[in-house]
Amino acid sequence: MKYVSEFRDAELARAVAAEIASITDPDRHYKLMEVCGGHTHTIYRHGIKDLLPDQVELVHGPGCPVCVLPMGRVDEGITIAERSEVIFTCFGDMMRVPGSKGNLLEVKAQGADIRMVYSPLDALRIARENPDREVVFYAIGFETTAPSTALTLQRAKKEGLENFSVFCNHVTIVPPVRALLDSPDLRLDAFIGPGHVSTVIGCRPYEFMSKDYGKPVAVAGFEPLDILQSVLMLMRQLDEGRCEVENQYARVVLWEGNLAALKSMAEVFELRPYFEWRGLGFIAQSALKLSAAYADFDAELRYSTPGVRVADPKACQCGEVLKGVLKPHECRVFGTACTPDHPLGALMVSSEGACAAYYNFGRKSFEKVEIGSKE
Amino acid sequence: MSEIDLTLPGSCTLDHDGCVVCSDAGIPVRVLSIEGDDALCEDRAGNRAQIAVELVAPTRVGEVLLTHGGVAIGKVVARGEEDS
Repeated sequence: MKYVSEFRDAELARAVAAEIASITDPDRHYKLMEVCGGHTHTIYRHGIKDLLPDQVELVHGPGCPVCVLPMGRVDEGITIAERSEVIFTCFGDMMRVPGSKGNLLEVKAQGADIRMVYSPLDALRIARENPDREVVFYAIGFETTAPSTALTLQRAKKEGLENFSVFCNHVTIVPPVRALLDSPDLRLDAFIGPGHVSTVIGCRPYEFMSKDYGKPVAVAGFEPLDILQSVLMLMRQLDEGRCEVENQYARVVLWEGNLAALKSMAEVFELRPYFEWRGLGFIAQSALKLSAAYADFDAELRYSTPGVRVADPKACQCGEVLKGVLKPHECRVFGTACTPDHPLGALMVSSEGACAAYYNFGRKSFEKVEIGSKE
Repeated sequence: MSEIDLTLPGSCTLDHDGCVVCSDAGIPVRVLSIEGDDALCEDRAGNRAQIAVELVAPTRVGEVLLTHGGVAIGKVVARGEEDS
């Protein structure tokens, strides 16, 4: 078994870091946003920030679907899960996301039949095995995850399974990025594009970022060298005055994406007119719901969820962190009232959440600053 | 087809995938056998799982797929055969 590949080679990493340093303008401050939570995780786990010049700042984006889910959607899922006829299924990370009155794990402890699954296809199997129960899958995720839900629903429809439905919370990556680009309080120079979302949607959807907003993009993989190389690609673009979408992760990502997955999604989903994002507010056409052809599988219709809105706890500053306005350690409850064991906000729940990544791997960084110091 | 190193696309395995809802969870697996729309696949740690392969059809034994939530969403290509 080979764990240390060339994408973790220390010599190569140092060489790339040196090249980044050589083209960094000492009088300029660069802000590069990694859109994806997986990238945030890699950056802190491997200390990539410490390899970069002080002038190059990595800003964490909104790319963790658990983290951007508003509390009202958690509460609505819990309402469905509490029904006696329902077996409620969801991914593991979703179990600990706090709603206004607790999380799914606590509701499970109180007797609700909530089961953690690894794939929506597991939820489908549970539905087959329990024909006298209603099985609901809590679907969440960006375009990486949406194809698995789409494929599951296509199989359910083909089988004529009537006791299976989906509470759909899938979101799309481009609208929140556009919202960030339009945000007056955020100045970004370039973007590290999400690698696996791009496996599905390809690189073309990011072209507006370079053409309309003048921001270079490098779609990147998830190993430390992937991140460093994508930073170098962006710095080269900035240095040479170029502005393009580049594909660092070409060993997996095709420029046109996965057409079969896109076709499957187009059949099963349609865009919601608007959807609420934690920290970013309502964003038009930024989320998916089941299409009319799959309305029979829509848990929102089956259980008439009311669409409640719940404000975040006042102390929680997830919103500012999600927009990149605050660093995680600058939140007033980071590491005190809000920890991975007792999260107040979703950013501390998911292992991909910026706050959890900072808490687990970034202590060295936050000891350097005054704000957020808990000594 | 060239033999592709399973570590090429990333470090996740079927039993250690980071967070499944996030894009980080792209797990490289090799196809061992195919039955209809599913394939028995193995990651670099030797873990095996049934993976839905409709979205990357046609699939062949020996290919390396990128999977997410039990569904293959992409194929990993050999060095020198990347998308240009």
